Amino acid sequence: MMPRDRGGPLAGVRVVELTKVWAGPYVGKLLAYLGAEVIRVESLGSLDVTRVYGVDDMNNAPGFQSVNPQKLSVQIDMKQPEGVKLILDLLAKSDMLVENLRPGAVRRLGLGYDVVKQSRPDIVYVSMGMYGSEGPLAYQTGYAPCFAALGGVSGRVGYENEPPSGMNVRYADSTFGAAAAYAATVALLHRRRSGQGQFIDVSAVESMTSMIGDELVGHAMGQVLRADGNRHPDMAPHGVYPCRDGEWISLAATTDAAWAALAGAMEQPALATDARFADLPARKAHESELDALIGAWTARRDAAQAAAWLQRHGIAAAKSQSSVDLVSDPHLWARGFYRELRQPDGSSKLTVGPSWKMTREAAIEDGAPHLGQHNAYVFAEILGLDAEEQSRLAAAGVAR
Amino acid sequence: MSALNGFRVLELAEGVAGEYCGKLLADFGAEVIKIEAPDGSPTRRLGPFADGEPGPERSGLFAYLNTNKRSATLDLGNANGVATLQRLLDRVDAVIDDHAPGWLTSAGLDPLQVGTTHPALVLCAISPHGQDAPEERRHATDLTVFHASGWGFHTPTGADPARPPLNGAGRFLPSYEAGLDAALCIVAALFEREQSARGRVIDIAMQQVLASRADYVLAQMVAGDMEASTSRTAFDLAGPAGIFRCADGYAYIWMSAPAHWDALRTLLGDPAWMQTFPERWLERACTPERVAECRKHLAAWLATQHKAQVAAEAQALGLTLVPVNDAEDLLASPQQAFRRYFVEVWHPVLGRMPYPGVPYRMSATPPRIDRAAPVLGAHTQDVLAGGDAA
Repeated sequence: MMPRDRGGPLAGVRVVELTKVWAGPYVGKLLAYLGAEVIRVESLGSLDVTRVYGVDDMNNAPGFQSVNPQKLSVQIDMKQPEGVKLILDLLAKSDMLVENLRPGAVRRLGLGYDVVKQSRPDIVYVSMGMYGSEGPLAYQTGYAPCFAALGGVSGRVGYENEPPSGMNVRYADSTFGAAAAYAATVALLHRRRSGQGQFIDVSAVESMTSMIGDELVGHAMGQVLRADGNRHPDMAPHGVYPCRDGEWISLAATTDAAWAALAGAMEQPALATDARFADLPARKAHESELDALIGAWTARRDAAQAAAWLQRHGIAAAKSQSSVDLVSDPHLWARGFYRELRQPDGSSKLTVGPSWKMTREAAIEDGAPHLGQHNAYVFAEILGLDAEEQSRLAAAGVAR
Repeated sequence: MSALNGFRVLELAEGVAGEYCGKLLADFGAEVIKIEAPDGSPTRRLGPFADGEPGPERSGLFAYLNTNKRSATLDLGNANGVATLQRLLDRVDAVIDDHAPGWLTSAGLDPLQVGTTHPALVLCAISPHGQDAPEERRHATDLTVFHASGWGFHTPTGADPARPPLNGAGRFLPSYEAGLDAALCIVAALFEREQSARGRVIDIAMQQVLASRADYVLAQMVAGDMEASTSRTAFDLAGPAGIFRCADGYAYIWMSAPAHWDALRTLLGDPAWMQTFPERWLERACTPERVAECRKHLAAWLATQHKAQVAAEAQALGLTLVPVNDAEDLLASPQQAFRRYFVEVWHPVLGRMPYPGVPYRMSATPPRIDRAAPVLGAHTQDVLAGGDAA
């Protein structure tokens, strides 16, 4: 059955995914959330590790479900020539291919850009790799924290005068995916205006460097970069301070006036006129004393209440939110960030929705697909194969 | 000819998030008109500065964020300026803003009305917590957004609960993330508008962008498939992965599969300590004691190694070991050079410098930097007279 038109800016766009784990699927998820029809090509012979690792039921795999909602699944074994032929037929009726298989894998399978272009000359072909698809180091592979280390991000996170500690281990895949999705959407727009498709080669490492772009400019201008804890060259105080019960609060004084307001909020107005803290250079020079004073004030307080109190005084402050805080954050719920999806078995399940709100959004309704849930739609309605041919493909193990 | 040639974008934004969004569009050929207050965008007053001296044309941050744009000064604090802005709105395809909620309305562009007054306009507003932010979230910086999003509490991995959670890398990571999703939504909206001739209003909340970047874990938590907790390590993965000191810096090693362990054995010549670990321990018997023992030996070994060489040897065997690169390493990287990631740009005050480029190479519409960031107000007369980009 034809999936219904969910609306959204990318309604009518068909995307085929040959993707694994997180970064590649994240591209498809963003495009699906914008309204595209996204079809995952999967096979029992080369299942995404997130369907099976530490999971009893590949059709109820929580990690897989997290990054593949609102997609379709078709089973095609791309290690068989007939499977490759089927994928090319599908691509002939699609607008985009997204792949993040191991370096060179798509070419070895016979699904490189040169081949796909024969089937679909105006295809938007998105290739994702740690280092991109070509170049002296393109053979190297890694997982998200490797991208962050290589891209210069990890070295910029850490406590003062200590070795770098890096971002949380989960950082990088989704950012890489968002960069790829942006380039892919630009290419779709170009194709709509010109009729021309293209090959896009995305580097995870460079997507990380782009998250600290100004730091590289600073380096070129002679700045020395080192891990600096929570400090900031343009603001003081700027930090994360202890609260009651192991909680933490982040706060920053953006101006001298904000610092005076903070002194007032802490009911220590004399600090506002204290020469040690009179302006930014003075506060930077006495930052440890400043941090100690603020830490003493926050330590006796509840983080959320202290943040609300500081906000009332016009100060940028937020509780450092734990995962419990996040899943119960009333503002995220009010904005529709968490969505309820209909699962293939009819049950419902909550998930993380899009990062944006927009007018005329795409409907987001369906959970991640079961393996091969949309075989009939893809084979019959897109590829026009009759029942006999579908049975033959299944029996031959091409659609397994 | 790049992909966005012919589109005209009005950038009302004055922060890093909106300016980065505008840069992403401008580097693909969109004509981005940056509206600046008479004293210039606040990012002109943020460093790094040429020779450490502040000045409107001396900021490296502004220079980086505003390549390819045009600058027009306009005082939106008076009725004349607001009226001029109204005339400009009729001539642009999209608007980028990143002021506090309510600012657009005061500038005569109410997001709730724009669908009626300018039905073909794509309006994207970026803010820390969205246009409907409650009172207790009105004041925010990149640091507070990072911590409201969950990334802060869980950084670094393996956190010591007695020490503060950390800020992300650099000053503006949350702003760059938000600018990226904003650009994605704007281009998607322009794509649809080609056929429908209808605009869209887009509301980007930085907190939500960052939280959505953790979807792999956060979706499992909200669904009840993974435990949400008050633990600083709730996002972490078990195992010996981590950053280790080398002879010339640091390296990151990842090990999660038997193939990684086997590759390490080969690389180290099957040392005695590795023989005491059970088969497939990373998957099936990854105890804290074994992780600590493994890390102790990794630390001793890597301390004698040079990061780039040891990474190349490890990678050849299938072990995911990489150097922790610093700025100098990135500029010297043969891969970055091959992909021409850094782009030389000449700026009248800052001179010639390598700017970070974009992470995508595109066969038909490569992004490019044709012009350095504009001098304040350089295009005011052209823009107000209705002239097109030179």
